[in-house]
Amino acid sequence: MATEAAPMDEKAKRMRDLLSSFYTPDPSISTPTSSISTSFDNINGPSFDADQYMDLMIKKSNLDVLLQRHVQMAAEIKNLDTDLQMLVYENYNKFISATDTIKRMKSNIFGMEGNMDQLLHKIMSVQSRSDGVNTSLFEKREHIEKLHRTRNLLRKVQFIYDLPARLQKCIKSEAYGDAVRFYTGAMPILKVYGDTSFKDCRRASEEAIETIIKNLQTKLFSDSESIQARAEAAVLLKQLDVPVDSLKDKLLEKLEQSLDGLQINPDEASKLAEHNVSSKDEESNNQGPAKIHEDAVRGFSEAMRAYREIFPDSEERLFKLARALTTTHFENMELYIRKRVSAADFLGIFRIIWEDVVLMDEVLPEAALSDLSAEAAQVTLKQFVARTFSHLQQDISDTLLKFDINQKEVVDGEVLKVVLEASGKAVLQGTTDIFQEFRQLLDENTGIFVKMNDLLIGWIQKGFQDFFRSLESHFLVLSGKTSSSNETEGLVEGKSSEKIHAGLILVLAQLSVVIEQKVIPRIAEEITASFSGGNSQAFIPGELCRVFHAASEKLLQHYIDTRTQKISNVLRKRFKTPNWVKHKEPREVHMYVDMLLQQLEEVGKEVKQILPQGTFRKHKRSDSNGSNTTTSSRSTTLHSDKMARSNSQRARSQLFETHLAKLFKQKVEIFTKVEFTQESVVTTTVKLCLKSLQEYVRLQTFNRSGFQQIQLDIQFLKAPLKETVEDEAAIDFLLDEVIVAASERCLDVTPLEPPILDKLIQAKLAKSKEHNNNNNKTTVSS
Amino acid sequence: MQGGSSGIGYGLKYQARCISDVKADTDYTSFLTGTLSLKEENEVHLLRLSSGGSELICEGLFSHPNEIWDLASCPFDQRIFSTVFSTGESFGAAIWQIPELYGQLNSPQLERVASLDAHVDSVLWWPSGRCDKLISMDEQNIFLWSLACSNKSAEVLSKDSAGMLHSLSGGAWDPHDVNAVAATGESSVQFWDLRTMKKVNSIERAHVRGVDYNPKREHILITAEDESGIHVWDLRKAKAPVQELPGHTHWTWAVKCNPEYDGLILPVGSTRQRVNLLLNSYTDYEDSVYGLAWSSREPWVFASLSYDGRVVIESVKPFLPRL
Repeated sequence: MATEAAPMDEKAKRMRDLLSSFYTPDPSISTPTSSISTSFDNINGPSFDADQYMDLMIKKSNLDVLLQRHVQMAAEIKNLDTDLQMLVYENYNKFISATDTIKRMKSNIFGMEGNMDQLLHKIMSVQSRSDGVNTSLFEKREHIEKLHRTRNLLRKVQFIYDLPARLQKCIKSEAYGDAVRFYTGAMPILKVYGDTSFKDCRRASEEAIETIIKNLQTKLFSDSESIQARAEAAVLLKQLDVPVDSLKDKLLEKLEQSLDGLQINPDEASKLAEHNVSSKDEESNNQGPAKIHEDAVRGFSEAMRAYREIFPDSEERLFKLARALTTTHFENMELYIRKRVSAADFLGIFRIIWEDVVLMDEVLPEAALSDLSAEAAQVTLKQFVARTFSHLQQDISDTLLKFDINQKEVVDGEVLKVVLEASGKAVLQGTTDIFQEFRQLLDENTGIFVKMNDLLIGWIQKGFQDFFRSLESHFLVLSGKTSSSNETEGLVEGKSSEKIHAGLILVLAQLSVVIEQKVIPRIAEEITASFSGGNSQAFIPGELCRVFHAASEKLLQHYIDTRTQKISNVLRKRFKTPNWVKHKEPREVHMYVDMLLQQLEEVGKEVKQILPQGTFRKHKRSDSNGSNTTTSSRSTTLHSDKMARSNSQRARSQLFETHLAKLFKQKVEIFTKVEFTQESVVTTTVKLCLKSLQEYVRLQTFNRSGFQQIQLDIQFLKAPLKETVEDEAAIDFLLDEVIVAASERCLDVTPLEPPILDKLIQAKLAKSKEHNNNNNKTTVSS
Repeated sequence: MQGGSSGIGYGLKYQARCISDVKADTDYTSFLTGTLSLKEENEVHLLRLSSGGSELICEGLFSHPNEIWDLASCPFDQRIFSTVFSTGESFGAAIWQIPELYGQLNSPQLERVASLDAHVDSVLWWPSGRCDKLISMDEQNIFLWSLACSNKSAEVLSKDSAGMLHSLSGGAWDPHDVNAVAATGESSVQFWDLRTMKKVNSIERAHVRGVDYNPKREHILITAEDESGIHVWDLRKAKAPVQELPGHTHWTWAVKCNPEYDGLILPVGSTRQRVNLLLNSYTDYEDSVYGLAWSSREPWVFASLSYDGRVVIESVKPFLPRL
């Protein structure tokens, strides 16, 4: 069906095309098929060539197709004939009805001519009557028109005559605007007739105008007048053709001078900010300085608007003025924030400036004030952020240095603890506060701030990053670990590393731990909570934690170094002074032992204030006592061994044996990593001191008594050192090492007999007890 | 005792503190070392690194009358060296000549060229070439000696006192300037001009143990200190150190600049197990290391000597491409 329908449609379409082409005279306008019809083999085209078509058909097709084509064509021709017959029939019908219509029209027109003649006659009579009326009224109308003209003239003359009086009246009522309007209106007449009929009149009004000009000029320059009134005066003067260029210069100078009054004085800015904030709350407080300032700036911008209209060529200068005011605003702002300024005050001033800028921008949009102030605002805001951070650092530094870390107080009181707590609070509270301040900045919805939000977030993050980094280096400077590269810093100027108290270094070390573990994570949390989605990643808590971790370790090490350095000095003096080769028999434990113990006690007290206790605790006392006896017995056997080997052959094997003993005994690393616990720090200090002791011993040569003195001192040290230290085995080992070193450097190794050793130690203990008691008594009595 | 170390070891019989590169020996990489024994007969060992660099051979073994605290090889004659020794009560110094060797190792006697008759702590040779002058120091004085090997004599040319409190302990002779010497004292490093024999400059720094000039760059000096590690100084701005390097856990005893590779610094310390290089740490030591020397012939080779008498030769070659 469908396949049949398609050729049917095609056929009908072709028929329609053929008929329409028959009716349209120009084939080029006709149907879209024309494009096809151009080819000669198209049977419907105008350029169809039957012979050629035939040739083509014969060449292209076989007999079957040709036959088919023939049948097809025959059918088409028959169809066309039928269609043509139908057309002829229809057209004939239409022709007959047209002839009928024409006949009817002819009969209708027939009676019309008589009516037309009648109409013409009546119109003629109407015209003649109208002419009659016109001529009779003409004279009167002429007269009326003449009278009217005279009246107008008279009125004008009257105005001119009245002009001086009117002008005077205007002067009296100070309605200079009207006066100028009247005068300029009368000017053309006065110019023409001024020398003849209106001579007096002209002179009088010119006099009046003189006065007006004078009045206007005084008005223009009087400071009491409002700027707007003066601008109006300038307009009027200009209308009176008074030369205004010099006036303009003078006026602009005045405007320039008025800038001074509009500046925000950095010293009074906080007052301004306060009032600005409070006036937001209560509208009644209209007379606040902020309001006054706003009015002044409003007046200023109104004046600029007026001048701009009066003197179009002064635009450039006005731009300059407006820009100058904006720039000074921001400069003063910069001065203002050099002092400590809260975010609220900062915002207060910022709003005022922004309002000023908006006011001026309305008048002079071409001055691009908002661009200028956006730039300046960025600079100022960035500076504000930076300054806030440096203030915070100053605060922290002040807290650290506020307490006079006096030797006695530190050891006995809890000064270090107080300093640590105060400074830890300063850092934690300070950073949180600063963050809240910045939140205020971010919440500010003044137009300019919204645009800078992303930048601000970046600055805050960068600010925190830089702040912590600079805090770290500041800590190192405070500790004397690094010398201050910045001479102007002045905080530690002239403080050599020896004058910096070791306790401060310890505080700084622990403070670094606090920052690493508490402050930085907290800030990181706040930042992610507040700026989620921000793409600025300037704040890298991981890196900062690493930095402070490293700093804390460095500082702790520095504390231990400083402490051991002091002890080293005690030891150095001890070993430099006597001639060890000619040492006398030991009578008592040498007093440097007391100094050593005292120093270690100080370390213990400092550490107790600052550092936490380690999880590792010493074993019970009985244990340590037990180990004490075993080690001492071992060391005595070692000594007696040495004594026995007086002949030189065995000395070498003895050395070898010591080495072997070391190998099996103490493959333990003695200098383990220092931890942030009381025990670890004390232990490390003690170990380092004993190591120093060993090194000093190795540099000397001893006689028998010298060796015995060392033996006595070390034996005495054993008990109190083990009290303080967690790693007893290492201490034992190091003490033994000192004895070994001394025996190696001794010309005649003969240890003291244990009873004598014991007696001397007991004597020393008794003495120091008595000394302590005395001390206690004196402190009680005082 | 090897502990998986790459170094070549050699054991002395007794404890020892000092080792020196034999700079004048251009054919072999050799070192001189001496023992420190109060009661036994002390020895000087001449060690040579075998041509393959895999073995340390004892080329000569000489007995020395006293325990040796310091030893320095003459930079222009491989057979001459100086020692600082202790007689128990006092210190002395002497210049020695190694006798001609005929392959025997049975402790031949050293020839004493000259004695520096003073309480000497340290003897310095000018490191950069032939110079017949020597410097010696004791606690309070610095001496300039003229040495004549041929007639076996040494005489004091000039001396100056540093003052009682300074107690000089050692020093270094500027390889760039034959007239400049640095001496370490109790509380400072002091600089002397040998022409006038006057102190010209000082770095206030307590407890400096070792000092060395950078042979590649003028005015640069490194110091090793008890507690505070290693510092690099520019002598034109001697107020503050140019650089601070981490030292040892305990004292840093000596520090030496590499003669060839600028910036390669080698410190040794008393925390038993460390010879520390910025590139690498060598920790295979059983005792404090006091002696240290770079080879000038093979500048990537250094010798270290721990107190227990163990010499270890290491090569830093594997780390050099990183420089």
